[in-house]
Amino acid sequence: MTEPSNMSVAPSKEADKPDRRAVVRSSLECGAVQAAIQAARLILQEQPSLMNFRFLRQLVDGLKPDENDLKPYKVALVSTFSIEFIHDSLIAFGFINGLRIDIYQPGFGLINQEMLDPKSGLYAFAPDVTILAIEGEDWLPEIYTDFMDAETSDGRLGMVVARFRRQIDSLVRAFRSTSTTPLLVHNLALPRVRRAGMADLRLPNSQAKLVADLNRVLGEVLAEIVGVHIVDYAALVNHFGAQHWYDARMRLYAKAPIANGMLGNLSQEYMKYFRALEGLTKKCLVVDLDNTLWGGVVGEDGVDGIQLGPNYPGSAFVEFQRLILDLYRRGVILAVASKNNPADVDAVFLNHPFMMIRKEHFAEMEIHWNPKSDSLKRIAKRLNIGLDHMVFVDDNPAECEQVRRELPMVTVIHLPGQPELYVETLCAEGLFDTLALSDEDRRRGQLYQQRAQAETMLSASSNIEDYYRDLAMTLSIAPIDQASLARAAQLTQKTNQFNLTTIRYSEAELAGRMADPGWLAITVGVRDRFGDNGIVGVMMARAAEDRLDIDTFLLSCRVIGRTVESAMLAFLCDAAQERGLNKLCGRVVPTGKNVPVRDLFAKHGFSKQSEDESGTTSWELDLACSPVRRPSWFRTSG
Amino acid sequence: MSKNVEQTIRELMSIILNIDAARIDESTSMDNTPGWDSVNQINIILALEEEFSISFEVSEFEMMVSFFDIVEVVGAKI
Repeated sequence: MTEPSNMSVAPSKEADKPDRRAVVRSSLECGAVQAAIQAARLILQEQPSLMNFRFLRQLVDGLKPDENDLKPYKVALVSTFSIEFIHDSLIAFGFINGLRIDIYQPGFGLINQEMLDPKSGLYAFAPDVTILAIEGEDWLPEIYTDFMDAETSDGRLGMVVARFRRQIDSLVRAFRSTSTTPLLVHNLALPRVRRAGMADLRLPNSQAKLVADLNRVLGEVLAEIVGVHIVDYAALVNHFGAQHWYDARMRLYAKAPIANGMLGNLSQEYMKYFRALEGLTKKCLVVDLDNTLWGGVVGEDGVDGIQLGPNYPGSAFVEFQRLILDLYRRGVILAVASKNNPADVDAVFLNHPFMMIRKEHFAEMEIHWNPKSDSLKRIAKRLNIGLDHMVFVDDNPAECEQVRRELPMVTVIHLPGQPELYVETLCAEGLFDTLALSDEDRRRGQLYQQRAQAETMLSASSNIEDYYRDLAMTLSIAPIDQASLARAAQLTQKTNQFNLTTIRYSEAELAGRMADPGWLAITVGVRDRFGDNGIVGVMMARAAEDRLDIDTFLLSCRVIGRTVESAMLAFLCDAAQERGLNKLCGRVVPTGKNVPVRDLFAKHGFSKQSEDESGTTSWELDLACSPVRRPSWFRTSG
Repeated sequence: MSKNVEQTIRELMSIILNIDAARIDESTSMDNTPGWDSVNQINIILALEEEFSISFEVSEFEMMVSFFDIVEVVGAKI
């Protein structure tokens, strides 16, 4: 690989491991928060130790309160056991995810008091997220430690399961009636010890079966309440192994059963949820090709010489491709940034019998010899997504370093030397994990292909109105309902660019808006000649005196530049007039990312009423004089 | 006991207790050090285990209540 001359391809040992703590500290001192986060990420990857957690926590604690590159995030930990030893790692991992975490934790075992009493410390803290951390043996001793005693008494175990259903139901309902914020609930891990030994398998009510029953009950109860999510604690303990997960000394001496070496893993699990809830989930995976999707260098080894197929090391690359294809099916946008000759790469995609990923799975391909940071910038621009939503994967440390230095907001994953570790490396943090898979997620890859086709058509159209007409767009504008609730909440959480106010809504909060007759809560779907884009917009507005006030107005970046926003404003004008209102009003709250939406009101004839010191502007449209009209190229349905 | 080990322990305690390493001497103990509560005592013990790749018994947890005691217990293990 050729590199710019100022970069060493094989860094010396010292350059490889600079004093990262010093880098974090000095970056923060000069306000380079993204660079500090990059360095802190490397610290936690290389050595996720208690000392490093504490070091980062103290840095975060020492930040100025107005440090606005980090998002303040209040986490309540309600647990059946002593969970305070997790604080440092939670704050440290929060930092590398752009969150400034503030923790509230009542003493362990105070679940009922904290969740049932609306005046409790929990609700006074007003958490952004609450975690209900449960160890089965604390809550359900009959099924864990006292199993042999309970097992002999007829019907007692069944009653324990029924009691658990009632308890969890009343706790979660009490929480939901007091707070609309998200709640994460641990499911139950298997007992550390099978009390009946191997005979457990033969018991009609074995411990294993009872725990499965309890987890099923938990799932049933929580499915009925919006904004409550299960943390798969059982899978986590299983993944690392109970032998490693628990520490008997700490359990018996300090009521803190989780081994210190595992606390970071639990924090990382929570981070997946925090990212998903806060719109920080990564959206796009940019991969290198040589020694990433296949072994070897196609430009030197040729299509027949690269390693990809049933035998090691080719088998490891097949496995890695399968994972990437799964991410594509889950709605992650794929792109390539490779230093190669395009013809060599085309030959692999066309002719290699074991290529699982096809060219059409990639929304963008940057194949040339220019710096990869340029490739990433171009990909982000063309896909209309932020660089901070991109993950870049490469086996070459120099390429990784170049991207880290030029684009500190990109998450860079350096693949290890052994390809059999690629899958684990990419999966480790769950960077792409979402709370649920929507239809839009499943179809996203296809949607990006449609988008590319539409763009080809745009370049072929003689004028822009012909292009709009040729797109044959049909809008479906409808009130948010149970079926669209999850997608609507997801859009409020994830949309950054075409978003007037960037107000994030949880599902529970949206459900409240739906039920409130004073509010309009609307989804917008767009279909065009290339297919159905699904729900791409959300509007919320409320009548006040003689005006309709817009609270939320957002549009997915996929359909920006097609005048959908004009049709949406026209809908709101009609809705206001139907209610006998005279004005349509709204605010533009500027963020670092919502530049594309700033001139929305000005472009549609609204007049500016005021501007405050933070740059927020208020706008008004007199509906009697100049309502917005739906562009003639739209058809409507639904 | 090498000076090096003692210095490592001192630095580790200074980070966890958020006090100047130079202020930690043989007389520094749970009784006379604000911030050295039962939670931080365990944080110190767990961090020492990680730092020196050693493991303490619970009976040793309760002995490690001053800088002097900690140096003694760790010194016996490495």
